[in-house]
Amino acid sequence: MKVLIVEDEPKTADYLERGLREQGYVVDVARDGLDGKHMALEYEYDVIVLDVMLPGTDGFSVLHALRERKQTPVIMLTARDRVDDRVRGLREGADDYLVKPFSFLELVARLQALTRRSRGQEAMQLRIADLQIDLLARKAWRNGQRLDLTAKEFALLAALARRKGEILSKTTIAELVWDVNFDSDTNVVEVAVKRLRSKLDDPFRPTLLHTVRGMGYVLEVREQSEDA
Amino acid sequence: MKLSISQRLAAMFAVASFVTLAVLGVAMHGLLKRELGRHQDNELQARWQMYRPFIMRNDEAAYWGHIRSKFDNSLSENSRVRVWVLSDDRRFRYGSELTAEQLRSAVTASFGQVRLPDQQEPFKTYSAMVEARGERPAVRLMVGIDSTPFVETLQSFTVGLVALTIVGALGAAALGYYIAGVGLRPVERLSGEAQALSPGRLSRRLQTDTLAPELSKLADSFNGALARLEAAYQQLEAFNADVAHELRTPLGNLIGQTQVTLSRERSVTELKEALHSNLEDLERLRAIVNDMLFLARADRGERAPNRIEVSIAQEVAHAVEYLEFIFEEAGVRVRIEGDAQASIETSLFRRAVTNLLQNAVQHAPRGAEIVVSVLQQPGAIRVSVRNTGSGIAREHLSRLFDRFYRVDSSRSGSRENHGLGLAIVRAVATMHGGTVFAESDDGATTIGFTVACA
Ligand SMILES: Nc1ncnc2c1ncn2[C@@H]1O[C@H](COP(=O)(O)OP(=O)(O)O)[C@@H](O)[C@H]1O
Ligand SMILES: [Mg+2]
Repeated sequence: MKVLIVEDEPKTADYLERGLREQGYVVDVARDGLDGKHMALEYEYDVIVLDVMLPGTDGFSVLHALRERKQTPVIMLTARDRVDDRVRGLREGADDYLVKPFSFLELVARLQALTRRSRGQEAMQLRIADLQIDLLARKAWRNGQRLDLTAKEFALLAALARRKGEILSKTTIAELVWDVNFDSDTNVVEVAVKRLRSKLDDPFRPTLLHTVRGMGYVLEVREQSEDA
Repeated sequence: MKLSISQRLAAMFAVASFVTLAVLGVAMHGLLKRELGRHQDNELQARWQMYRPFIMRNDEAAYWGHIRSKFDNSLSENSRVRVWVLSDDRRFRYGSELTAEQLRSAVTASFGQVRLPDQQEPFKTYSAMVEARGERPAVRLMVGIDSTPFVETLQSFTVGLVALTIVGALGAAALGYYIAGVGLRPVERLSGEAQALSPGRLSRRLQTDTLAPELSKLADSFNGALARLEAAYQQLEAFNADVAHELRTPLGNLIGQTQVTLSRERSVTELKEALHSNLEDLERLRAIVNDMLFLARADRGERAPNRIEVSIAQEVAHAVEYLEFIFEEAGVRVRIEGDAQASIETSLFRRAVTNLLQNAVQHAPRGAEIVVSVLQQPGAIRVSVRNTGSGIAREHLSRLFDRFYRVDSSRSGSRENHGLGLAIVRAVATMHGGTVFAESDDGATTIGFTVACA
């Protein structure tokens, strides 16, 4: 998966590059609008992360130039929480946007959503260790034993299982499970995870659902459980 | 070029007096011309009457020479007057020879004029027939007088009028400029006062009691604007202080924690722990900043951009569903009453309702029922959340929706509540053209908002 980051703020560009590289992406960085436009047009990327405020040429004109020739998915980073910036970005062909300050996990989630969208159909049966999930029938088993999950608990499990090994932030989970796309000071996600855990992990070994403090939750098999 | 008010007034005065004087002058000119004309006519007729007997009494050709000298005599002392006796009979004629054209212009009517070759101005004439007598046929007696004095009088009068008009207009301009200057002096004073205003002296106002009514109205509205500005300014200052205060705690934690961690060799686990803890504080900072940015949008007067027509109760149900687990944990039930259709931005609306429900569940005792009612009112839809519990003291009610305001300030450190929940509710209401309200007595608290509907 190849990503182009067009971002002039050096610290931001550096951590994005490192973070995405560690997530398994091949990353190119352009540090101003002109470079960005050149690279976006010359090379093939699976997705482009484009800052709106850039020296030289701003993000909108890079997007504009790109859309005249290519349909590469683009995520815009807007620093101002201005509706017109967002609306303008989407109207001019951006596929998604994030308002700074954004969380890195959020960006990863959006990137995956975008590239997944272009990859098409996914499996209806998921398997992680002894956990087995049937997305169509909305049922789950561990060790052959049916798990008695409520609809929301199942939705949470499915969201995590679809992104096995990825850390999902609370915001992302709220969006995937409850279709809630705003920050709120509730601990709904924590409560939901606690409930799911009591049915998924308490009776079984190994532990699959892990908390990553300050970041979110991940479903995966770990060598030795850290938060047990 | 931009003209000052005094200059403009002076110009307007000048134009007005010019037009008045010009109209007056033209009228006077016409009047004078008519009067002078009449005067001439009278003189002509009088002279005609005077000369007529000369001819009347005469009826013989032989005697006509006597008449001629009589005319010559009477005319010699006055070059302004001419007399002609016109007749087909050569014997009964008098006066200089006239060409056919001169004759025509003189004789077609009783009054006429004759242009004489040696004279600059034409002679005005009056002619009439003198009936035949004896040998003498009927002849035409024509008297002419020089119109030069008349024309000259009229000309000098015209020049005088034009000069008067111009001088009058200029005078009016000068006077107007002076008067405007005097009249505008209060404005100057006002602008001097306004200049003395500064952010440091926001409570100062313009003096209105000594001003003319027209200006005091302006000054009043200006003062009104100042008052609003002062309020906004003070709010902003308080707000900046609040933000700084609110950000100080997590920032302090971050710096201190990082310094402590780095001051010694640490194991990977310890380092990780510190980073995780930092991340929590940072997330909190991010949440605050994002909320502040959101509130700023409402402050700028932005309206909810993506509205759709929906059932309000259904949107409330959505928010309730989101918080379902929380209600179960807290052992409370939620009931939704009433419904209405309205055009709202659903994510904003749900956010507001979520915040209200969140507060209600935090303050409701176990086993309580939270009631959300949706009420259609004229022009607005009222959404309120009621919960039983200890209630809120009266003095807090009005400030509840202020940013960072918390009834129990000891909760301020808590991770979940940064005191922006109700401020966001108010912002959402504002963005939908609505307002907020809060009521509380010992038993129950009702907090909610309205959204405007068409
Ligand atoms: N239903 C309620 N019952 C009693 N007190 C309430 C209720 N809702 C809000 N409050 C009070 O109003 C204050 C402001 O609420 P809010 O803006 O949501 O901030 P926060 O919940 O983050 O403290 C809270 O601190 C709380 O004390
Ligand atoms: Mg709250």
